[in-house]
Amino acid sequence: MTSVDIIVQQLINGLSLGSMYALLALGFTLVYGIAELINFAHFNVFMVGSMIGFLTLQAFGLVGQETTLTGLPLVGVLLTGFAASMLGCGLIGMGIERFLLRKLSAVKGPAAMITTIGVSYVLFNVVLLTLGSDSKNFPNPIPPMQWAIGGAVLRVREVAIWAISLGLMGALTYFVSYTKLGKAMRATAQDPDAARMMGVEVDKVIMTAFFVGGALAGACGMIFGLYYNLAKVDIGFGAGLRAFTAAVLGGIGNVPGAMVGGILIGLIEAFAGQTIGSAWADVVIFSLLVLVLVFQPAGLLGRLAPNKS
Amino acid sequence: MSEGIFSPRRGTEETGLAASRPIMGIPRDRRHLFIIYVIAVALLLLPSVWDDDAGIDALANAMSYAALALGLNVVVGFAGLLDLGYAAFFAIGAYFYGILTSFQIMPEWSGFWDPFAYVGLVEKLNQGGPDLVHFTLSFWLALPLAAVVSALCGICFGAPTLRLRGDYLAIVTLGFGEIVPIVARNVTSVTNGAAGLNGIQPPHLFGYNFGIDAVPYYYVGLGLIALLIFTSVRLRDSRIGRAWMAIREDETAASAMGVNPVKYKLMAFAIGAGFAGMTGVYFVAKLQTATPEMFNFNVSSMLIVMVVLGGMGSVWGVVLGAVLLQLMQSWFLPGLSRLIQELGVSSGSALLQRVDLTQWTQLLFGIILIGMMLYRREGLIPAVRRTPGLTYDAQHAEVARGGFRNLGNVAHWGSGAALEIRDVTVKFGGLVALNKVNLTVPAGGVVAVIGPNGSGKSTLFNVITGLVPAQGTISFGGRELLGLKPHQVLELGVARTFQNIRLFPTLTVLENALIGRHARLTSGPVASILRTPGQKAEEEESREGVLDIIALFGNRLAPRVAQAVSGLSYANRRRVEIARALASRPRLLLLDEPTAGMNPAETLELAEQIKSLHASGLSILIIEHKLDVVTRLADRVVVLDHGDKIAEGTPAEVRRNEQVLTAYLGRGARAALEKEVA
Repeated sequence: MTSVDIIVQQLINGLSLGSMYALLALGFTLVYGIAELINFAHFNVFMVGSMIGFLTLQAFGLVGQETTLTGLPLVGVLLTGFAASMLGCGLIGMGIERFLLRKLSAVKGPAAMITTIGVSYVLFNVVLLTLGSDSKNFPNPIPPMQWAIGGAVLRVREVAIWAISLGLMGALTYFVSYTKLGKAMRATAQDPDAARMMGVEVDKVIMTAFFVGGALAGACGMIFGLYYNLAKVDIGFGAGLRAFTAAVLGGIGNVPGAMVGGILIGLIEAFAGQTIGSAWADVVIFSLLVLVLVFQPAGLLGRLAPNKS
Repeated sequence: MSEGIFSPRRGTEETGLAASRPIMGIPRDRRHLFIIYVIAVALLLLPSVWDDDAGIDALANAMSYAALALGLNVVVGFAGLLDLGYAAFFAIGAYFYGILTSFQIMPEWSGFWDPFAYVGLVEKLNQGGPDLVHFTLSFWLALPLAAVVSALCGICFGAPTLRLRGDYLAIVTLGFGEIVPIVARNVTSVTNGAAGLNGIQPPHLFGYNFGIDAVPYYYVGLGLIALLIFTSVRLRDSRIGRAWMAIREDETAASAMGVNPVKYKLMAFAIGAGFAGMTGVYFVAKLQTATPEMFNFNVSSMLIVMVVLGGMGSVWGVVLGAVLLQLMQSWFLPGLSRLIQELGVSSGSALLQRVDLTQWTQLLFGIILIGMMLYRREGLIPAVRRTPGLTYDAQHAEVARGGFRNLGNVAHWGSGAALEIRDVTVKFGGLVALNKVNLTVPAGGVVAVIGPNGSGKSTLFNVITGLVPAQGTISFGGRELLGLKPHQVLELGVARTFQNIRLFPTLTVLENALIGRHARLTSGPVASILRTPGQKAEEEESREGVLDIIALFGNRLAPRVAQAVSGLSYANRRRVEIARALASRPRLLLLDEPTAGMNPAETLELAEQIKSLHASGLSILIIEHKLDVVTRLADRVVVLDHGDKIAEGTPAEVRRNEQVLTAYLGRGARAALEKEVA
């Protein structure tokens, strides 16, 4: 491979990783924008999403990479997988808000954040105790076709991942910008009390944000499985921390910012992995997180939500 | 957090302090001390009556986690900094000792090492080949050294990050906690990677090798815990601890009352890291191995669970939390599992025979975190003790009204200094909040600032006290205030109150007022831990002084000094804020709507009290809406409107000023008023 090929290949890898981190970062950003809360449960909601996807695809009789599908069956199976993981994770996210965090909404200090750490623990260990700690062979029904671009390889599954991510991000942008609930969400992010007095059902809006964030994490879990061909109980931490870095990089609370940040983090991980080894990619990303927070806390695109505290 | 600290020497009867109220015939302080002695003696005698090496070993392990929890409590509980990567400092201490006693790094021997060999820090080693250096750092020397090294790492990491908001800090520390094990795993030449360091030396004492017997480690652990509890309690009950808690409760108010937030947060971080570094040495000396897995996120979060379970900020609570969770893991869960398995054998149930509850540990951690946050946020042993309510008599006592009495006790405001504000301009985006405002408060004068809502009055106060940056100059007694941090402004003698009361809610009246004194005291952490005569005298003096100030408000605050301010009435909270500001011995007092929310009688009382402060020589700048208060107090009145100074003069002049009437009442209303007068 020539150096140009390597760059093209890492660009492809980076975009695939980036679209995952962007989806996951959106969940952090939506919740942070509205509730000013870092939702640590999001890390493992994502992991649960990949497990739901794994179980759903398995239920269709798919095993590993052996069975591939084409045409309508492929679309149907993928749609069902995504629907299941998104719905499951959306409901988990909503439940966390409805049954735990809402009770703490009036409490100052780190109580809500500590609660989400607790939820993260519970999700992790419930999966660990029921499905085990082994790496699961995630079924991938997408045919293993690929194109050669010079010396680099572009696989069909990567194109599929990009298309799905773009579609979801487009849908979210439409939802936040043009629907009534989306506008209510933006109003709540600016000033929940004012929104409440203008007739916005703030509780419903917050719950929706948790549902949407969870659903995107679920989709991300499914994509993670299709990309890496695996599902494992401990994938949440690394991916979640990268996604949070992406959200901060783009400007936390800022929806387009999370998308841009996600893609950037994906590219950074790909190229850092290429140049200094993947063991150190984490160090690069965490250092970036610290640098952004210290020197440019508003991120690249700026925070959209004002400081409420 | 108030045992011991509030036992003033003077009249406990008249102040009714709960701390020395006898319960079961023994004062609470003495009762606590008694319980502590009993537990200590029991723990000291335990190994001689309980001949179970595994059990003692489990206790010794539990102690290392209790020590870590104590350190994390300084950071999370006292200073309110949620550190999710605390195990990183544990790792730093552990690897420090591990590398300097194992056979991992062995440079070639040269004459350079001779002096080190002479004092026993290294020894010459020959494994066939050239002579090599084997580091042999003494365990006892490593304990303080590791504390220092970890504390320095804490400062290096904290300096850039501690300015971040609390929730960002949590995620940054999480990242840091992840990086340190990654480094340990990948810098294999130094740490031997994932396989870990082997051959770490056990401690030696007077030629006795601790080896692998659990009992000596048990005693070392006990000593370590005792030291850390002692240090925690001493720090908590000092100027340092008060500064930490003030930052935890309200960072802005803390800085406005003279606490340098960056310095004290760093101090908490460094001291917490130091605790962890020491514990790291103890931990690996006991295990004689160190792998990256010992210090990963699970350790950090287990420590968080321990602190949350025991009670954030509660020294005894976190020790209890750590011991309970450790005992749950090493005895309770395995024991219960065995019981269930035996039940399965006798009942022939294969399912029950397979039960292994130890795998449920982490699930239980999660459930504990959620449960505690929902149902008992203050933990098993709350840091803040509920103080009993006032007696009927105290509540229904006749209140003393009028000006301050005994002001002579506290009126040492120093020589007055004039405040000169020149051309101060503040812009928030496109909005001009203050436009070239000029204002002078002469030494010993009272100036009132009035103006409609949004006219920039509070912004002016924020500019003077360093909370909002501005253009222009503000000189106070010849010193430029603009560009100074809030705590530096207070140190120069400018103290303020806030329009929307910013007290430290869970702290008591006395503690709130003592934080006001912070900038006038000098004891550092070492003096506070050792409780030097100087520190003791200083604490005594400041308590006396602050009680004198509280006593100025007659029986409004005096019976309530040991109560948390969150339970006080609105008017009393305003009084505490004024007392807190006075405690800093200001030369200029800034009062932001001091009588807001008070009834006419209370307003009159406070106005008289402010007047007596003025009479005793204190310069005052006051924002006030109630014109009768302004007329009664102020020598001069400055009127702001939309950031512009529209009038200045004596109260009588300002009342007749046309522009002022327009600004307050609007053009039409003024015309109507004039017609009426005519």
